[in-house]
Amino acid sequence: MQNVRVIFSKTGRAKYISHLDLARTMTRVMRRAAIPLWYTEGFNRHPYLTFAAPLSLGYEGLQETMDLRLQEEMSGEELVQRLNEAMPEGLSALSAGPAVAKAGELALADYRLTIHCPAQTVQALLAQTEIPVEKRTKKKTTKTIDIKPAFANAGVKEQEGKTVLSVTLPCGSNETINPSLFVSALRTATGEAYGYSVLRLALRKADGSLFR
Amino acid sequence: MKETLENLFLQVQKPARYTGGELHSVTKDLRDVDVRFAFCFPDLYEVGMSHLGMKILYAQFNNEPDIWCERVFAPAEDMEALMREHGVPLFGLESRDPIKDFDFIGFTLQYEMSYTAVLHMLDLARVPLRSDQRDEQHPLVVAGGPCACNPEPLADFVDLFFLGEGEEVDLEVIRLYQEHKRRGYSKQAFLRACAAIEGVYVPSLYDVSYNPDGTVAAVTPKDGAPETVRKRIIKDLDACYYPDYFVVPYTDIVHDRAMSEIFRGCIRGCRFCQAGFIYRPVREKSVDTIDRQSHALCQSTGYEEFSLSSLSTSDYTQLEPLLNRLLAWAEPEHTNISLPSLRVDGFSDELVNKLNVLRRAGLTFAPEAGTQRLRDAINKNLTEEEILDTAAKAFRGGWTAVKLYFMMGLPTETMEDIEGIAQLGQKVVNAFYNNPDKPKGKGVTVSVSASCFVPKPFTPFQWEPQDTKAQLQEKQQHLVESVHTKKISLSWHDSATSFLEAVLARGDRRLCAVLEEAHRRGFHLDSWSEHFDFDGWMDVFASCGLDPAFYANRRRSYDEVLPWDHLDYGVSKAFLIEENKKAHAAVTTPNCRQACAGCGAACWKEGVCVAKR
Repeated sequence: MQNVRVIFSKTGRAKYISHLDLARTMTRVMRRAAIPLWYTEGFNRHPYLTFAAPLSLGYEGLQETMDLRLQEEMSGEELVQRLNEAMPEGLSALSAGPAVAKAGELALADYRLTIHCPAQTVQALLAQTEIPVEKRTKKKTTKTIDIKPAFANAGVKEQEGKTVLSVTLPCGSNETINPSLFVSALRTATGEAYGYSVLRLALRKADGSLFR
Repeated sequence: MKETLENLFLQVQKPARYTGGELHSVTKDLRDVDVRFAFCFPDLYEVGMSHLGMKILYAQFNNEPDIWCERVFAPAEDMEALMREHGVPLFGLESRDPIKDFDFIGFTLQYEMSYTAVLHMLDLARVPLRSDQRDEQHPLVVAGGPCACNPEPLADFVDLFFLGEGEEVDLEVIRLYQEHKRRGYSKQAFLRACAAIEGVYVPSLYDVSYNPDGTVAAVTPKDGAPETVRKRIIKDLDACYYPDYFVVPYTDIVHDRAMSEIFRGCIRGCRFCQAGFIYRPVREKSVDTIDRQSHALCQSTGYEEFSLSSLSTSDYTQLEPLLNRLLAWAEPEHTNISLPSLRVDGFSDELVNKLNVLRRAGLTFAPEAGTQRLRDAINKNLTEEEILDTAAKAFRGGWTAVKLYFMMGLPTETMEDIEGIAQLGQKVVNAFYNNPDKPKGKGVTVSVSASCFVPKPFTPFQWEPQDTKAQLQEKQQHLVESVHTKKISLSWHDSATSFLEAVLARGDRRLCAVLEEAHRRGFHLDSWSEHFDFDGWMDVFASCGLDPAFYANRRRSYDEVLPWDHLDYGVSKAFLIEENKKAHAAVTTPNCRQACAGCGAACWKEGVCVAKR
């Protein structure tokens, strides 16, 4: 038995694969690649497969992680090669090896948020002392949080009439801020529903080092 | 348009329905492609993507280098609204190009309630609905599938129908189209040429006249079209194309698994069952072929489950050897085998044991009728003893839930037969409690589901009236009152949709106006009951001057010209009349392996018709 962490990217058409569907998709990738997966015991046997941080539907990710358990040993290089031969469009394995960080150590994520509006609209919102937004809680209620501290150090750049926001946000078991909250705040402030896209560049531990 | 689409995807539920790009979806370079085919399933992605016929033809068309076949499904309401708002016409999932620019738009007609979705999709594609409004500039609209056996309610909209099995005839039509294109294409000339191909029905080449009472007087061919059009069958299933891949969806679909067809047709001849007659004769695939095809599919898709597909799995003559062959690789590879359509009387102890090796989903029986007399009348050759024996066997095997499927409104049915449904359910409950080894602390659930009988063309019941809504409601009420235990959970099908299904199933060309008006009023995806507006439909019939009861609730005489009489599915009218008479006398007919009943399908000299008995 061998535990492996695979770093992969999810871009292009694959961004429309929901988190729930991703597990099924990856299981099938591994079955096609004839990877010797370890199956749980019992009546309803299934492979062991977990993702450190779900990626919202429609977001792209460059450094996502998937932990899996193999029945037999296999080198990281071989695993990556065999996975990529069986991956659908938009999914790509980058590296594989033993997990360095524990799942609970994931704390931050780097995002690039592209909003279809002029930079000054974004800057006006960032200049506010508070940016209150409604956030759904796990108990299906909503609460108002201030995302100003999280976005205080965001980099802002205008590119081909769109605004690109580079920001590192909490992304762990204690606290998570979805970059779309900023777009919600923008909608509240301006009354405009701007189009946007999100790219998650990397996952990090609390000390800023890469989660891998 | 493609950037607009990307923006729309982010605003809808389950965008994976529309994005394409799934594993094994086929894209081609347009420079290599001569014919573009939009394969449309008139329902949502998750329904259409579960359909085996589409997977076969999709792969077969794309296997030809110069043909590019793409998939198209009916968008859900949210996506449709956005498409209309942003001026996005219906597109192929693979290229995202508008299908109005394709050569063919092909629909598969699996159930009558999808007819409005056909019109709806043509409209979303911005293609004129009626054949006579489309010329050489428009795609040809073609259709096939089981409902093509009475295509008359769609006759004004579809340029040509494929009757029977499509693997050969579809390609013949496409090749003929290419030939005509090279020579200078005229739609009329092409359709006339197609009519000479066996299995192709061009409705515009037939004039239908009516009697004063509304029945059909005559169907008259013109321009050299044949008097009758015979369906096509594949003679040798082992030699027939079968895909070694399926498109593997990302989002959950109804049947998300690999499928292997094990035979076509059915030996049984249950008198209510259209599939049991229109797919004759029974032709089996060999164990070798099924084994090879199943394994190839599982390897290429990564599916963790595959099912054996047929009308009656246990009638496959080599079922046990087949299962042994399949299990040899399926077990070590953690692949589950599911066996739908298992008939009670083919269910041996050994098979129960083999299924125990696999995952248990539940056990389903379809006695269809509550009393032996009525089961004899419908030729469901199954006795109460066999049902209870099998249920007992299943309970000994550890099952605690059984589903029983029945129909209400069958010809010759009385209230006694309705009570019989409840009584049979009760006896199955008793069979559970009579099992000395029943699991401790566990109860049994017997789910009794009663649908409404819909008389269909090409069955012995094609002349029968459907029960009226009031009659069916009375029977449903009586069934509720006849059940005296909480171990039986009852459910039934809505009689209103069954009524409309009955109208469309045996309809004639005058219903084209009804469908068009229903479409104009925005009725579509009628197979989803949340979308179904019964009163609205009745109003549409009234506005077209037609009485739906004429189609649903009227008994036809044997000598009436039926709207589908010019179509030939091998099964003769004389045979169906004979079977209808036997039904009224509650006399059964042996299955095809016991004795040939002389239905007419032997004209192909294939399969069970020429096998040793």
